Amino acid sequence: MLFKRLLTVLGAAVGFAAAETHTLYWNATWADANPDGYFERPVVSCNGTFPWPQVHINKGDTVLLYLTNGLGDHNTTVHFHGIFQHNSNEMDGPEMVNQCPIPDGETMLYNFTITDQAGAYWYHSHTRGQYADGFRGAFIIHDTDEEPFTYDEEVSVTIAEWYHDLSDPLIATFLNLYNPTGAEPIPQTLLFNDSYNCTWDVQPNTTYKLNIISTGFFVSQYFWIEDHNMTVVQIDGINVTPNTTDLLYITAAQRYTVLITTKDDTSQNYAIMQKMDEDMLDNEDTVISLNNTSTMSYDSSNGAVEQSYIDSYDSMMDDFYLEPVDAIEIYDDYDYLITIDVIMTNLDNGINYAFFNNITYTSPKVPTLTTVFTAGEEATNQIVYGTNTHAYVLQKDEIVQIVVNNQDTGKHPFHLHGHVFQVLERHESISDDDSPVGYNESDHAEWPQYPMRRDTFYVKPQSYFVIRFKADNPGVWFFHCHIEWHLIQGLAITLIEDPLSIQANQSLSDSYLSACEAAGVPTAGNAAGNTEDYLDLTGQNVQCKDLPAGFTARGIVALVFSCITGIVGCVVIGIYGMAEVHGIEKLVVEDLNVSVNDNDDNEDTGSQSVYDVEVAHTGDVDGETGSASGNSSSARKV
Amino acid sequence: MVDVFNVEVYFIVLRESLEAIIVVSVLLAFLKQGLGKATDDPAVYKRLVRQVYIGAFTGVLVCLIIGAAFIGTYYSLGNDIWSESEDIWEGTFCVFATVLISIMGVAMLRINKMQEKWRIKIAKALLASPDDFKGRFKLGYLTKKYAMFVLPFITCLREGLEAVVFVGGVGLVHASSARAYPLPVVCGLISGMAVGVFLYYGGSRSSLQVFLCISTAILYLISAGLFSRAVWDFETNEFNNLTGGDASESGDGAGSYDITKSVWHVNCCNPELDNGWDVFNALLGWQNSASYGSVISYNVYWIFLMAVLLLMLYEEKHGHLPFCKKLRLIHFNPMYWLKNKKKNELTQEEQEELFRRVQEKFAKTANAEEDAGGIEVSEKKTDTGSEINESADIESGENNKHVQTEVVQTETLEKN
Repeated sequence: MLFKRLLTVLGAAVGFAAAETHTLYWNATWADANPDGYFERPVVSCNGTFPWPQVHINKGDTVLLYLTNGLGDHNTTVHFHGIFQHNSNEMDGPEMVNQCPIPDGETMLYNFTITDQAGAYWYHSHTRGQYADGFRGAFIIHDTDEEPFTYDEEVSVTIAEWYHDLSDPLIATFLNLYNPTGAEPIPQTLLFNDSYNCTWDVQPNTTYKLNIISTGFFVSQYFWIEDHNMTVVQIDGINVTPNTTDLLYITAAQRYTVLITTKDDTSQNYAIMQKMDEDMLDNEDTVISLNNTSTMSYDSSNGAVEQSYIDSYDSMMDDFYLEPVDAIEIYDDYDYLITIDVIMTNLDNGINYAFFNNITYTSPKVPTLTTVFTAGEEATNQIVYGTNTHAYVLQKDEIVQIVVNNQDTGKHPFHLHGHVFQVLERHESISDDDSPVGYNESDHAEWPQYPMRRDTFYVKPQSYFVIRFKADNPGVWFFHCHIEWHLIQGLAITLIEDPLSIQANQSLSDSYLSACEAAGVPTAGNAAGNTEDYLDLTGQNVQCKDLPAGFTARGIVALVFSCITGIVGCVVIGIYGMAEVHGIEKLVVEDLNVSVNDNDDNEDTGSQSVYDVEVAHTGDVDGETGSASGNSSSARKV
Repeated sequence: MVDVFNVEVYFIVLRESLEAIIVVSVLLAFLKQGLGKATDDPAVYKRLVRQVYIGAFTGVLVCLIIGAAFIGTYYSLGNDIWSESEDIWEGTFCVFATVLISIMGVAMLRINKMQEKWRIKIAKALLASPDDFKGRFKLGYLTKKYAMFVLPFITCLREGLEAVVFVGGVGLVHASSARAYPLPVVCGLISGMAVGVFLYYGGSRSSLQVFLCISTAILYLISAGLFSRAVWDFETNEFNNLTGGDASESGDGAGSYDITKSVWHVNCCNPELDNGWDVFNALLGWQNSASYGSVISYNVYWIFLMAVLLLMLYEEKHGHLPFCKKLRLIHFNPMYWLKNKKKNELTQEEQEELFRRVQEKFAKTANAEEDAGGIEVSEKKTDTGSEINESADIESGENNKHVQTEVVQTETLEKN
């Protein structure tokens, strides 16, 4: 079976095309699909088809997307990953952050214009866990300006893992008392363009611009093409100085645009390889295949390829050292510092959550953006956004530095909505046997003059990264781990950037408000839904209380009581053991149910008379009553 | 130092040997004082002491064999099958050991209260074999006859198995060098034995009654801890099954225990991970993560034990349980009813007659012993073919007790 889903090839758009408006009508519905060839399961489809379409627009174009929810009892939303959403913050997508959930039967209009971005992006549902069920696709913005590299053709592909179970049951077993370590559900396979056995037909002696878009949910992937080098020219929509490698490491939600020049020789086809990062999997018991092979076909007569192997991952490109083409210098010292520690631990309900500084993100009762619009002057007070949304209010144009100290032993790709950030430093990973290393402001590595920028960047185990960005895009922006499992566990903070500018220059659309009404979400109020006193958070959603530390009153009572019973028990043993009881012998004999021969051999007289007194229960089934007869006088015999 | 002395191994061996050695040394001291000194019957004493030693060494031997098999499987399959079912094994052994220690302890205390001459009679009776073939293989008879074998056997088997598997199987995986093993193992064994020797000689020298009370109290502390641990093990096993074994990986931190059942939890002092606390666990049943089950079972064990002891005391003094003149503890033993006692209960007349005779018999033998200055016990010879003797439920006049004693008086041989 051969799928050819790579035919969306557009030549590089050059010149000044007039800005267009792309109107899309998407109805998210359930359909059955078998994207990995192993198992047919329900998926979230676009108008009944799966995979979701690749969307291609030009820089400057406007998108009008009418998203209708046809998913029955499931809500939905859509987020365009990496899009800045200048002055259209309500189109960003995260449920209960930038919008209300769209309930079944409702339609919401996403209306935004791409003003200053080009490159490889993607869209996905930002409703809890939903894009694991298929709601995801590539979103390509073609640059109308001249690009700093040349190529003949452009091709976009998505790579992602796939689960055979739906996200609902996976979340139920994941956020569970009986998953105390927070072990993430294990995917079964990897998909290429949400499909399998794919073939990319190439021409010899041609330079391709290949957009590799991770629409992944959890596991990072290694990506390589047998016997071909890849020249990285763009990451997350940021053009970088060309860097040639033979192996990419792509976390969930990252994009790499690479140039690949094909060979002169068409006698052989080559393998396009994806491989899961096994280090992120707690076990591989339910993995069907850790890798996925697609065919780079020079000539279809060569047929499909076998998988290719590599000896090590050492040659993997480190994205930290890439340099943006535009050579923007490192921002001067920060104005606002956010230091957040990544911790994964359990709360009192036994469920394993993810924390930034002891706060696990808990959705407010009112979307944070709604609060921004309705809180008036209070919008600059971070209290109105609730204590469990982990909100930070940023001032206009200030330089914000975020330090993420990862105290967890896993990798975490963090994504900032509405921005790309400068990456100042990423510490090497620290082994599980050592303590985590946190950022030390007075003692850190030298920072690059022209730091790499992107929108999704991973922190290594038990170490840290330092990023900076300029708060020049008013809006409510989510900053979260793009491992969706960890977002479900609450690994997120909310940045409210210049709330008064949002109030002044933006407004909530009718479509936004009607979705809220349909979903039964208040259209005004603070995080607790309070419209009277915005500083009163009574009734807000909060996280479960902490695990009790050490001995609680209950524990002390139990321990003391146990000690007392033990001591009293010992005393009772003493009383019983020391008590003198006359005639205990018969009781013991009787209770033990044994035969005691009280043979009295009188040595003085040399008498050989023997008295057998059998003290036993009559009627013993072993027939003790059947013993030899005697008469009472015999007992008195001397 | 570290490369020749692995502290973990030392504590594992100490903990496992301690429990086993305490049980063995208490039994030996009991035999020496309670039976050995009481009579001049070295045969019975030796036989019982031999039982204890054979039990202990058989336990060690079997555990070495099983342990070797486990480790062999572990290294050939690369799969720790012991760890997977460890909690079930431990729990089952713990329950078994608890039951045995509980029964033995009461029996030892009780036997201690008897006149010396009776101790040896009972011991001898317990060792005697029934004449009929069927009777020899009855469970009740076998457990009584080999009581001194079973307890050390089970205890040594359980403790030894744990030690072998922990040290040999689990320990080696984490250890840097095998050189770190011999020394701590030997030191652990020596430390454990030192405690045992101290207990044995302490017991042999001090007053038997005081010693028995103290050592039985220690045994019951161990036993209560074992019972609590058994419940804890079963609960942990259930939790591990539900979590797919995740909990055991996470040490003693959050997520390593079932919060819904937790009474207290401290992230330290884990008897399975932290040196020294495992000894505390072995002796007193300490858990850093106590569950409702483990706490309640510990207390229920003690309360049940206290109730039984106090009831026994009452019964021994008054001949029956409080409030129910016809009820005795033995009536709660299902075997009592299975053996159909009721059927053979005699008429009042018969009881009185039999009782009178027995009384005379006791008086007689007591006198005879005083004269003889000792007794000699001969093998009972029963003639199964002869007619049923008089038997009666008697109400013992001695001490004016209302005791339903069923006595069969038999004369097998009479010579002048």
